[in-house]
Amino acid sequence: MPGMPSDSTSILPFSLESSAHQQPPIYPLQHRLSSPLSRIHVSWSRGNVLHVTCLRPPPPAEEQEEEDESMDGDGVEEEEEVGGMAVEVILGGAMLEGEIREEKKRRIAYESLKSFAFLNDKKMSLAKMEETDMNAPSRTYWWQYALQYSRSINDLLSNPRSPESLIQDPRIFLKEGEESSATKGAWELMEIFYVDIQLLSWLPERLVDWLEDYDSRLLSGTESTVHSKLANLQRKLAKLQIVEDDSDYWSGLASALSVGWLHVVVKLLKLHGSYDLDQMDNRETENGLVEAVSRLITEMPRMRSDNNTPDEKLGVFYQTKQDYIKGLEEWRGKVSGLESTSFWLQCEHRKTRDGLKSLLQIMLGNLRIIVDSTFNWVELLISHLIYIRPLTNGLEGLNNLAEKCMQLKPSSNNNGLAGLLIAIISENPEVVLADCLKTFGPWIVAHAVDLLTSNNEYIDAVLNEERYNLGGTSIGEIYVLVYAQALASHSLTWQVAPAYLSCLNQGPGLLEVLLLSQPVQNYRSVLKTLEICHLYELSNISPQIMRNAGMNQWKHGNKALAIHWFKQSRDKTILSRIAQQLFDFVGNSLSDQSFKQLEGLMELLGSDIGTAGGLDFLHKYRDFKKALQQIIEGGETDATRKITELLIQLMKNPSTPQRFWLPLLHDSVKLLEWKDRPILNVSDTNLLLGKLQELSMAKLRHELQEFAIGPNALASIRLALAKNLGRAILQES
Amino acid sequence: MADSDDHRGFLYHLHHQPAPVSAVQWLPSTSPFHRHAVLASPSALQIHSLSSPNNLHLTSSHPLSSPITSLSCPPNPSSVTLTLAAGTSTGSLHFLFVNPYDGSFNSDSVSVSDKSAFHSGPIQSIDTQTGSTGESITVTAGEDGRVNIVTLGGERVENIRVCESEGLAAYTAVKWGSEVEFVTGGVGPGLQWWDTRRPGGAVAQFKGIWGGGMIHSMDIHPSRKHTCVVGGSAGTVFAWDLRYQNQAVELAGGSKSRVLSRSEIWEVKYDHFAPLISSRNVLPVMVCSEDGFLAVLNQDEDPVQLLEEPCAINSFDIDPQNPSDVIFALEWESIGILSRGKEAIAMD
Repeated sequence: MPGMPSDSTSILPFSLESSAHQQPPIYPLQHRLSSPLSRIHVSWSRGNVLHVTCLRPPPPAEEQEEEDESMDGDGVEEEEEVGGMAVEVILGGAMLEGEIREEKKRRIAYESLKSFAFLNDKKMSLAKMEETDMNAPSRTYWWQYALQYSRSINDLLSNPRSPESLIQDPRIFLKEGEESSATKGAWELMEIFYVDIQLLSWLPERLVDWLEDYDSRLLSGTESTVHSKLANLQRKLAKLQIVEDDSDYWSGLASALSVGWLHVVVKLLKLHGSYDLDQMDNRETENGLVEAVSRLITEMPRMRSDNNTPDEKLGVFYQTKQDYIKGLEEWRGKVSGLESTSFWLQCEHRKTRDGLKSLLQIMLGNLRIIVDSTFNWVELLISHLIYIRPLTNGLEGLNNLAEKCMQLKPSSNNNGLAGLLIAIISENPEVVLADCLKTFGPWIVAHAVDLLTSNNEYIDAVLNEERYNLGGTSIGEIYVLVYAQALASHSLTWQVAPAYLSCLNQGPGLLEVLLLSQPVQNYRSVLKTLEICHLYELSNISPQIMRNAGMNQWKHGNKALAIHWFKQSRDKTILSRIAQQLFDFVGNSLSDQSFKQLEGLMELLGSDIGTAGGLDFLHKYRDFKKALQQIIEGGETDATRKITELLIQLMKNPSTPQRFWLPLLHDSVKLLEWKDRPILNVSDTNLLLGKLQELSMAKLRHELQEFAIGPNALASIRLALAKNLGRAILQES
Repeated sequence: MADSDDHRGFLYHLHHQPAPVSAVQWLPSTSPFHRHAVLASPSALQIHSLSSPNNLHLTSSHPLSSPITSLSCPPNPSSVTLTLAAGTSTGSLHFLFVNPYDGSFNSDSVSVSDKSAFHSGPIQSIDTQTGSTGESITVTAGEDGRVNIVTLGGERVENIRVCESEGLAAYTAVKWGSEVEFVTGGVGPGLQWWDTRRPGGAVAQFKGIWGGGMIHSMDIHPSRKHTCVVGGSAGTVFAWDLRYQNQAVELAGGSKSRVLSRSEIWEVKYDHFAPLISSRNVLPVMVCSEDGFLAVLNQDEDPVQLLEEPCAINSFDIDPQNPSDVIFALEWESIGILSRGKEAIAMD
């Protein structure tokens, strides 16, 4: 038996402990059944989806009756007592694939096709331009298209924000609305580093913005971040009366400042008790210090070269490096001035004094305090970029800095966005893509290849080089292929897959396989599949799809659709075979009901199908049967001449098979016994007698097939013929 | 959600749905401010309310066990509730009752399903009309080659088999022409005209003008009950006049050069909004296609494209009371609403 182990040693004992080196993935199932399971049935679904059916033991018979009774009055119970549950398990899925809902994922698949097709289109036209004109500035155009592409995909990933309320609660300082997904964060990170080359001059600031949006998504699991700390603080503040007495308030302030969220810091400082109008004691100096720190924060120099900085961003913006350095020195001078002022001695609130002083230390780049206020290496890296090494340039510098930060804040898992950041700054495009696939699933990788290669000829070479060990494809193509396969495994998205397959070297072959494996039960789906064949110039496989559809319909007894598909596929062989079957079917027996079937089928097949003379005979035979029916029903004497003509034609025609002679003769008995006058003349009757003689000889030689006409058929036909011959001779003489 | 506006004064809104929509139809409305549309999703019938083209929200949903292939809901002035009929891919027919004021389903419903006496395969098309005594008369056409007429009056359901072809035909479209006549389209017999006063078979037949394609949809104009417009495979749209049974007037596709598309025309409907040209025999029709076109066709004129979508438009409906508005279902799990003309802009 195939697949059976040949001996017992081929079954290995499996234990969780022994495989600690490579931990087996565990997928917890949520079947929501209260009672223990009695049976589990596992089956493969499409793609990497496993269907697990969990069945609970059948309730004892008595209990069931009781349940039935109780169910009558109460519909809720019905739901609790289901017999089992089928659950889907997605195997080997990416870590964060589940963060986007299925329907949103399909929406992204549909919409990103447009952007992908747009970019592919441009790629082709640029390639053409380069062919004709060597000096064509394709590279300059290219990154603009890539940026346009990147932005359109980025828009797709956004969630619609709920409109902001007009009344702003001073105690709400974090952005409201649905949180951005980590997938979007990954996309933006790649856009920053690979596409938008204008951004490179103010990369540090761009990373500050990025962290603000995605800090909550930085690490998987429950590890705390500045964002989570501030979220907790926000909840706490709603109930707190005197904020400055709370140490979380001050540490929250320090954390927010160290990652550069200036507007959050300023907003939080406004909550300080010294701003209250109904003060019991004199806090003027204290308030002055809070205000001074807050003012210095809003005046912080920042290097941004974009013209449309959002209003909420605080700081003084500089376009050029020289201006920025000048501004920075001036500002640092002010900060140190405030740090060493004597007003601190007059500040009686100890927590305020210490808290504000540590804020000033952060602004001056005090590493110890910054390390304490941040939670992971990425946040620490961002603080470095803001306060300690604001002029870090290039990926190499960033990489060195990141390594230093990782030493200061070692992290057990660098999955997700943090991992992606490491891969990017260590200039390892292969790792970037592999990480993306592992964390975010196939969609992002397939689309990111074009981001990575848009501005970098080295990466372009690495990803688009055809490799022998990959079967002649490139790394980039492999990722597009993986995504196309994911699309193809879902019945709603498979129609998107051909667009991706068609731009691969080995695409056409795979597309054929995909199209041929589509279900053929529903004629509308078949037409949709055929449309795709037409679109991608694969008309050579459409006949096969039609044939499959026809076979399916034939099996289910839908002859009309079956013959329709066979005719569309122009499959003469199958149609001839059907015609042959008809032939056999007619030869065996022919009741009125089956005659109707025959007539319908012949109508469907048309006259030009079948072996030479085969269907032609059937058509004539049908006409004869029809005329006979008419004569018997209506007794029309005018038609008798036509019918004798048909009969004689059929009997004379060499293509009429011998086994049809007897049914024909049997049918003609009705004509032979026509009451008023003999219908067949002498020579016609002689012809029929001759045929009857041949049949009798054949019967003696046992060559004749048995017909369901009756044992005495030959005798009765002979008698009728003899009688008619007599009548005809009399009439003719 | 996506909106757009173009130079023709068209206003166009897309509403993403969480599941594919196989059929879509306006419900006869009680006032211009309470418009509702019914959507057939794989597991349920949904009524959405529409206060303006860009504001569509679900008001009521009725679960069904099998996918819906066809919808029909005739206006019924004599009754306060609307009867909505839905045919399914497993051969069952469901009648649901809708309150036209708030767009909610009544709790009761009536179903017909019987593999031997009704349909044994998918019902591909249904059409419902209201009889003289307020009963709903639905004609159903099935891939199994059966045509039935189901009459629903009060609690009573009655089913008459009009045709049983035992696999020798597969019906794909049906449409009432008058109280007693209807037309069917299918694989095998082509177009057939039936008269319930003359049982025993079709009274007229037309095999079509294109090389063995399929018929997907038909429409008959109340003022020209002898003419039926037909949409089918290979971008073919033509009109069949009962008075000239052996010929057809081509509107698109076929042998003429007026080509809109070479793919499937999934639905065809008379367009009450397009201007009439009196010299033409055939009134203007709207069609939607597999390759994403929504267009208006006039006899002897080039097609007027309304929309070109990146995916198939599977179904559409023109609001009978407000014919400038069209609702349509896209392959990519979306519903679109197109408002033509000035009132659309005023509304926004």
